[in-house]
Amino acid sequence: MASSATKRTRPQSPNIQIYRPQLTSVLSIANRISGVLLSIYAVGLVAWLSAVVAGPQVYSTALVFIRSWVGQILLLGCTFSFFLHLCGGIRHLIWDAGYGFELRTIYASGWTVVAAASALTAIVWITGAASSGQGP
Amino acid sequence: MNKERLRSPLGRALGLGSAKDGVEQWWLQRVTAVALVPLTMWFLVSILVHMSSDYSAVVAWLRTPAVTVLMVLLLIGLFYHTALGLQVVIEDYVHSGRKFAALAGMRLVCFSLAVAGILAILRTAFVG
Amino acid sequence: MWTAPVGATRLKVLQVYRYDPDSERNPRLDTFEIDLDDCGPMVLDALIWIKNRIDSTLTFRRSCREGICGSCAMNIDGTNWLACTRFIADTATPATIYPLANMAIIKDLVPDLTHAFAQYSVIKPWLRTNTPAPDKERLQSPEERSRLDGLYECILCFCCTSGCPSHWWNGDRFLGPAVLLQANRWLVDSRDEATGERLDDLEDPFRLYRCHTILNCTRTCPKGLNPGKAIADIKKMMIERKS
Repeated sequence: MASSATKRTRPQSPNIQIYRPQLTSVLSIANRISGVLLSIYAVGLVAWLSAVVAGPQVYSTALVFIRSWVGQILLLGCTFSFFLHLCGGIRHLIWDAGYGFELRTIYASGWTVVAAASALTAIVWITGAASSGQGP
Repeated sequence: MNKERLRSPLGRALGLGSAKDGVEQWWLQRVTAVALVPLTMWFLVSILVHMSSDYSAVVAWLRTPAVTVLMVLLLIGLFYHTALGLQVVIEDYVHSGRKFAALAGMRLVCFSLAVAGILAILRTAFVG
Repeated sequence: MWTAPVGATRLKVLQVYRYDPDSERNPRLDTFEIDLDDCGPMVLDALIWIKNRIDSTLTFRRSCREGICGSCAMNIDGTNWLACTRFIADTATPATIYPLANMAIIKDLVPDLTHAFAQYSVIKPWLRTNTPAPDKERLQSPEERSRLDGLYECILCFCCTSGCPSHWWNGDRFLGPAVLLQANRWLVDSRDEATGERLDDLEDPFRLYRCHTILNCTRTCPKGLNPGKAIADIKKMMIERKS
């Protein structure tokens, strides 16, 4: 028996430190992270609208930032977060309706979300790059 | 936990009882999500179409009555969905009294951003 | 590190979480080498072999050795499962054995399940009726009985609950997948007459709505049950009664 008068507090078994990352948990946290990132990008949306109303000089300054490499990287992050959250969100809405809970379907829909988000991001950026070649 | 050292395990699990509330938050999160699917897709396509447009073309686009309406709807839906989503995140990770301050602060910020954005749209559409 | 006896040809290394409440030492990982030719095929057999041949202080729960009692639930190679239905051949090298995640540990691989069972009591897992009992049984059609399939088979091993990240962060108030699956079992039982009260007790931002459909639960259930789906069905009932 322990000699000390107070009982030792029981240790807590490790959770996130040892639990294997699985498609279920990884996509779930990715949906959350992309959502939080989009909340921050929403500030950018309001800033862009404010730049429009502020007049052509302010707006062109905003465009300079958006077209810089920092702006482009932020925009790429925004697009990917958006499509990941959109596809993940649709997957959630299907679950909420009661469908897609078989383990095989969970995994198939999960990989579909990853593929679709990547593909849509690529399509948007290629389209954007192509059309920015034209115009004034 | 110190406050409840001698409370029974069942008592601790019961806590303060069921709030008998929570469906509405869950439902509105889904409703705003469904509304945002077409709204955000429309906005994204519009951005791509107007990528190389000059300032006056962007303003003219925002002045189009349908676009003004859709942009306002987008901002309302977006910030409502954001506020609901961030509420769940804060409730998950922030405990103790700080939670309520964090929730209130987050809602204030989302509301303010929505107001700022909507006013910018309306001023573009109607003024000058 | 304890090595296998001399002459053993087929060897397996296991790393096992150890904690002794009677000592002052912190939890640690012990490494054991076992002789596969002298041991049964399941992870539980390996633990019993270690207890018999190497370290008799190794402590774990076990009973049926056939995947029906739920006693030997633990974390094997990062996922929760029953030790008696996990083949040693399907484990990593070395195999890592931890107790069920995020549980107060009594000793070695034995978690304190007091809170888990207290949460189970919260949902009142018994038939609740106002209609007086009939002379014979309360009748139920085969279709009505089939709605209990996939729910009644839960052995309360708590693999799902202890693998749920939401229960890790809010397990004091969130009931968790095992308890919610059982809540659904009573909600869909046609003989039960307290459905409204049950839904009232569940409608809470934490008791039910900390579930964010992460689905680690369905992924890890060693009985092949689907707590994620059961919880989704509860949420649908919540909506349905509002309109």
